[in-house]
Amino acid sequence: MVPAKRESLITQLRRGTLEYCVLALLRDQPRYGFDLVRSLGAADGLVTSEGTIYPLLSRLRRDGLVTTTWHESPSGPPRRYYQLTSEGRRALALFTTEWDRFTDAVDHLLRQGGSP
Amino acid sequence: MTTEVDALVLRYLQDLEGELRDLPANRRQELLDEVGEHIAAARAALDPETEAGVRTVLERLGDPADIAAEARERVGVQRPPVRPATPWLEVIAIVLLVIPFAGWVVGVVLVWLSRLWTTRDKLIGTLGGMSWVLAGLGTVMTSAGGSRAVGSAPLGPSETSLMAVVLVAAPFVLPVVAAIYLGFRLRGRDAAASAPPS
Repeated sequence: MVPAKRESLITQLRRGTLEYCVLALLRDQPRYGFDLVRSLGAADGLVTSEGTIYPLLSRLRRDGLVTTTWHESPSGPPRRYYQLTSEGRRALALFTTEWDRFTDAVDHLLRQGGSP
Repeated sequence: MTTEVDALVLRYLQDLEGELRDLPANRRQELLDEVGEHIAAARAALDPETEAGVRTVLERLGDPADIAAEARERVGVQRPPVRPATPWLEVIAIVLLVIPFAGWVVGVVLVWLSRLWTTRDKLIGTLGGMSWVLAGLGTVMTSAGGSRAVGSAPLGPSETSLMAVVLVAAPFVLPVVAAIYLGFRLRGRDAAASAPPS
């Protein structure tokens, strides 16, 4: 088999997990777009083009996992803040549980080749 | 300085708008607003605001085409399918076919000009559009046969009137039938053309 290209490998890993990273960043407090995007960008390899987060946020809002509210900003115009809905919280909790099981299983296989 | 930077930002947002044109209008506006707010917040965080700084902000946002691709995927919009252009010639031909007299003639001519129908389709269209010729010939022969009334048995009055009704109605009914048939053939072609390649 051809060695997987690093780019496409990361793209595939990102695809299913990025939205939960966004939800996780909103777990403790609402954030405005720029702040949210920069926090995600700080995590290595998660975001290559910051702008691609906005279509995802739009999806999350339409799916009812996130809502937006406007808040005054200390500097400049009011900002749109994203916050979790209770449904978003449930989705994040479910993902967290499944993710732990999933990574445990994968870790196990990667480290020991599946031997007990 | 500020105006140069503003122009840079404006151009970026215009590019993005262009890339997003196949998205529903409300989604497109939403994304443009949010990216615009992102840029505004990022610019406010620059101290001092330099052109290089703003360029970096735009670079980090990424290529508008990438954002649009992501949007299509997240929103579930297909890349604009290569829709076959509306076959105007064929549509006009079909419409003309059901318009008596001049329409029948011009309709048949257009049917033959089309490259979308097969020869068989065209023959059926012609038969429909030209059925008045057949009906005319039929009428002449019937009346001639009726007046001659030698050899073959003459037609009874009820048969004659039935024949007359058929001959009068045929030029009006057959073109409609042919037009409907040609319309179906056209739709079949569209469905086949737009079917995704496997």
